[in-house]
Amino acid sequence: MPPVDIGDRLRSLPGGSAVALKLDPREYADHYFAVLNATLRDVGSETNAHTVYVAVTSPAAFVWTLAQALDVPRERISFVDAISHIMMNYSNPLENATYVDSPRALEEIMLRVEFLLRKFPHPRSIVVIDSVNSLAIHNPPELLSEFFHILLNNLKSRSVLTLVLETSDEEQSGVEQMLNLVVDETIDVARAGR
Amino acid sequence: MGPSLQLERCATGIEGLDNILGGGIPRGNMVLVAGSVGTGKTTLSLEFLVRGAERGERSLFISVTEASAKLIQNLSTFEFFRTELVDQGSLVFVDLPVIYERLGLSNEELNPEEIGILIRTIRDLVRTLGVRRLVLDSLTSVCYRIHKDEQIRDFMLRLGEELKEAGCTSLLVSEIGPNPGRYSLHGVEEAIVDGVVLLWNARRMGDILRVVQVVKMRGAAHSRAQYVMELTPIGILMAPHLKGGREGGA
Ligand SMILES: Nc1ncnc2c1ncn2[C@@H]1O[C@H](COP(=O)(O)OP(=O)(O)OP(=O)(O)O)[C@@H](O)[C@H]1O
Ligand SMILES: [Mg+2]
Repeated sequence: MPPVDIGDRLRSLPGGSAVALKLDPREYADHYFAVLNATLRDVGSETNAHTVYVAVTSPAAFVWTLAQALDVPRERISFVDAISHIMMNYSNPLENATYVDSPRALEEIMLRVEFLLRKFPHPRSIVVIDSVNSLAIHNPPELLSEFFHILLNNLKSRSVLTLVLETSDEEQSGVEQMLNLVVDETIDVARAGR
Repeated sequence: MGPSLQLERCATGIEGLDNILGGGIPRGNMVLVAGSVGTGKTTLSLEFLVRGAERGERSLFISVTEASAKLIQNLSTFEFFRTELVDQGSLVFVDLPVIYERLGLSNEELNPEEIGILIRTIRDLVRTLGVRRLVLDSLTSVCYRIHKDEQIRDFMLRLGEELKEAGCTSLLVSEIGPNPGRYSLHGVEEAIVDGVVLLWNARRMGDILRVVQVVKMRGAAHSRAQYVMELTPIGILMAPHLKGGREGGA
């Protein structure tokens, strides 16, 4: 079977789908860039698309720099940043980002995602969560699975395409299982064509 | 209950709250909005009125503690607020101290006759203007001037009857301490009102969340769960309060 192109695959999904994108930690930078390319440029550049990027692994400012390198226009993306405050990296807040005190404020993250989806209503809305592993560092498993269950159901009912980044990690095998229960499919970036 | 018995709802226009209530507040209900300082009572009440005025329901804000000029100024933080609503008279602000003065109600404690005058004044305002939504901010400061429990009860019962008859849905703001064990100044108010919406601050692992819970609402099958709310320029947003790891509750 020929490898699927991630961008093509994502483009073919109906609104309301939830997908896990699995990255290999040994090739993290490579895989991460491929995922950004597929999400922000391939799907995110479709007419009337808007991406809400939930930054928990790296600050929004960092992701925005990469997005600019991919020529993503500012009005196509907005950020919920849940990491800058606890990393004490808040000195230069982005204009297109909203900052949450900590990755533990899960309800706040849900509310900010909703805020941005309402603020930028587009027929094709995409939410990227980067990443489930970073959220798992800061939150107990029951809380996290409740969060994903509620958030993904809510986004599904509103026809939002949700992409959850996941780094395969043997220490966090529970996280992978939890995510499998709430997403519609998993795309293994290592096996996908790019 | 068959659909024919379903009471007409007054959709608050706050989407999260309407979802919790199954469509809105049963029309004509008198609802206590109880919470400690800074929990968002005034903001929630204002949004209720602005959303109503937008839908063509005349809305009246009776302010006791804050000057209405300042409240109108605060409304501009709502992106959906248009000053025309005030200019056209769809959204009306009245300062209760001004009314007290006009009526000559200068005693620290209101006597039963004066309480009657106050009720009739509010009733006449509601009838003359055709008010469909009313906020009293706050009931607590009115109740400070009514000392006997039975007079409070009487005041609220009569006000409630007048408003119900006029088909006017109302929110009465109740200022309480952070851990009060009751929802109002005297503790009799919550028994009389048709509904109680409770607002408080909850903590989880050092973070503070605004939490809202509908404790009671006559005439509506509603969720009694806790929700987290956020005050934003596009209005109040609500999400379920996650249970895992919760430290204490209401
Ligand atoms: N639209 C808004 N966006 C963000 N924050 C807001 C908004 N409106 C109000 N706030 C903040 O929320 C806080 C509480 O608001 P509010 O005045 O509604 O509470 P309250 O319960 O009426 O307080 P009090 O007991 O002092 O009357 C205020 O500190 C205010 O700064
Ligand atoms: Mg107030």
